[in-house]
Amino acid sequence: MALVKGKLPECDGAPRDLSTLLGALASPESAVRRNAVRDLKLYPDSAEALCAQLQDETSPSVRAALFSTLIHLQSPHVAVRLAEFLRSDDVQLRNGAIEALQEMPDAIAPHLQVLLGDADSDVRIFAVNILASLRHDQVPEWLAEVIRTDAHVNVCAAAIDGLAEVGGPEVVKDLEALRLRFAGDAFMDFAITTAIRRIGSE
Amino acid sequence: MNAVSSMIDTEGLPAITAAEYAKFCEFFYRKTGIQYQVNKKYYVDRRIAERIQQTKSESFRDYFTMLRFEASGEELQVLINSLTVNETYFFREDYQFDALVTGILPALAKQKRRGDPIRIWSVPCSSGEEPYSIAINILERWDQSDSWNIEIHASDIDSKILAQARAGRFCERSVGRVSPQLLSKYFKPKIAGEYQICDELRSSIEFSLVNVVDPVQTRRYRDIDIVFCRNMLIYFDDAGRRETMEMFYECLAPGGFICLGHSESMSRMSSTFLPRKFKDVIVYQKPGEQE
Amino acid sequence: MTEESDAKTRILVIDDGITMRLYYRSVLEAAGFEVEEAANGVEGHEKALSQHFDMMIVDINMPKMDGYSLLRAIRKNPAIHGVPAVTISTEARPDDAIKAFEAGANFYLTKPVAPEDLTEVARLMTGGSPR
Repeated sequence: MALVKGKLPECDGAPRDLSTLLGALASPESAVRRNAVRDLKLYPDSAEALCAQLQDETSPSVRAALFSTLIHLQSPHVAVRLAEFLRSDDVQLRNGAIEALQEMPDAIAPHLQVLLGDADSDVRIFAVNILASLRHDQVPEWLAEVIRTDAHVNVCAAAIDGLAEVGGPEVVKDLEALRLRFAGDAFMDFAITTAIRRIGSE
Repeated sequence: MNAVSSMIDTEGLPAITAAEYAKFCEFFYRKTGIQYQVNKKYYVDRRIAERIQQTKSESFRDYFTMLRFEASGEELQVLINSLTVNETYFFREDYQFDALVTGILPALAKQKRRGDPIRIWSVPCSSGEEPYSIAINILERWDQSDSWNIEIHASDIDSKILAQARAGRFCERSVGRVSPQLLSKYFKPKIAGEYQICDELRSSIEFSLVNVVDPVQTRRYRDIDIVFCRNMLIYFDDAGRRETMEMFYECLAPGGFICLGHSESMSRMSSTFLPRKFKDVIVYQKPGEQE
Repeated sequence: MTEESDAKTRILVIDDGITMRLYYRSVLEAAGFEVEEAANGVEGHEKALSQHFDMMIVDINMPKMDGYSLLRAIRKNPAIHGVPAVTISTEARPDDAIKAFEAGANFYLTKPVAPEDLTEVARLMTGGSPR
């Protein structure tokens, strides 16, 4: 028969120590770096080194592992460090940071107000994307606050996207006010009509 | 209130409006990648309505709020469970076995050295239908199967179901799609309503107890060429899916493949694999060495 | 030109924003195109592989796989490398357009897109009026 019963090697499961793993982050081989990053889940003290590694890491699979380990080790400090990547020119890093922050609601929540007030409209859009995904019952009110106060069309559009899913009848008047503010913009008109229909109080 | 009576359908289950259905479908699609069209509304409505009742929610809106904001994500898992049918039988989702023998294995045969084994991992293997189906498909339908050493590893987290898989006894329903010719070739004659898989097949598959989220237990799985992981990850949360995909990335040899279940989309799990199309089936490939 | 064909001109819209996808769909369907949606780059790649499209509309910032990475992957795949692609992004970063063209985009628009611009570009990219 062509089928053979294969035996896999036995592996010892003894964890490597912190300094060995941190040393392995400098390896030229992506598989070695990736393995070290995965094993660093055991060491909360490695968080800063992992954040620093993210900046220089070029291998997509190692980057994915870095984000996973950082989500595992999440803390307000990690969240603030990841939020710095929202202004990166590297789109993969930016979007990886957004996804990771969406998975650490308690760690990022205290920092969201700062991000929502950022001078860069793209950072505010990303902050709204993170906010809209959080599992928290204040989310509709915070999103409504964005459409009442933010002047940028794309930031408001991101908030409408969230409100279409989580908003209740109480946000309809804010949506109607926004329609007047962006009168003549076909997309905003469409987005607001769609959101109100989704909210179900036409 | 008059509105209340219109919110209950004729069988006493809460009714769901078109707008609510659309909102639900968008949320569900974002989380799972599963898209329900309008023609599925009756089916989906029934499942949601049952969950509304069982969770004692007051309305769709209440239920959706819980689904959306519940920190544990537990209700979403329960709902996914009730919306997706998960049963196992021989040759289930067999278009993927077509892709295996006509596309994936020939592609692997081109990139591998003769003499090296082709290593397949079925996880979770449940009561064994999947690994045995893989074995039969390869032996029957891949013309190069005699030229290669093919290892099939099969793992599950549940020791009881794994013992069942090892024993290889199956009921009528489970073998319903196996032709009489293959039944007589690979199974012993039926005894007490059960079909027993032949000893050659049984002894050629390596069964093992594995919890995929335990890194120590999965560390032995290296240089795997094909992973079959069907209809498990849909029940995991985002973090569980991502970590399991990273585990598979480690286990697979460069250029190795993952096959997922029909309602599972890699697009909600990981971006480190490349989609590849074999016939009409999309499977996922780990990039080669020079990543 | 595809006048002699009965099949509609098909456009794949890849954007993580549900409202944005619905908007593109509504504008493009009104102009006679057929629209399919994907919610991120990985799903876009899967759909581009499994169905025929005459054009893609690609958002840049998306979870799992961004628009540039998607375009690079598609341009490398001989089976689908020729599908025309328009990227649409917010305009805060001036070098976005250059990056989009380097990744393989044929056209670049910024959000929010006016309906007439969208249909104009779709007609241009797919070689005339739909149908």
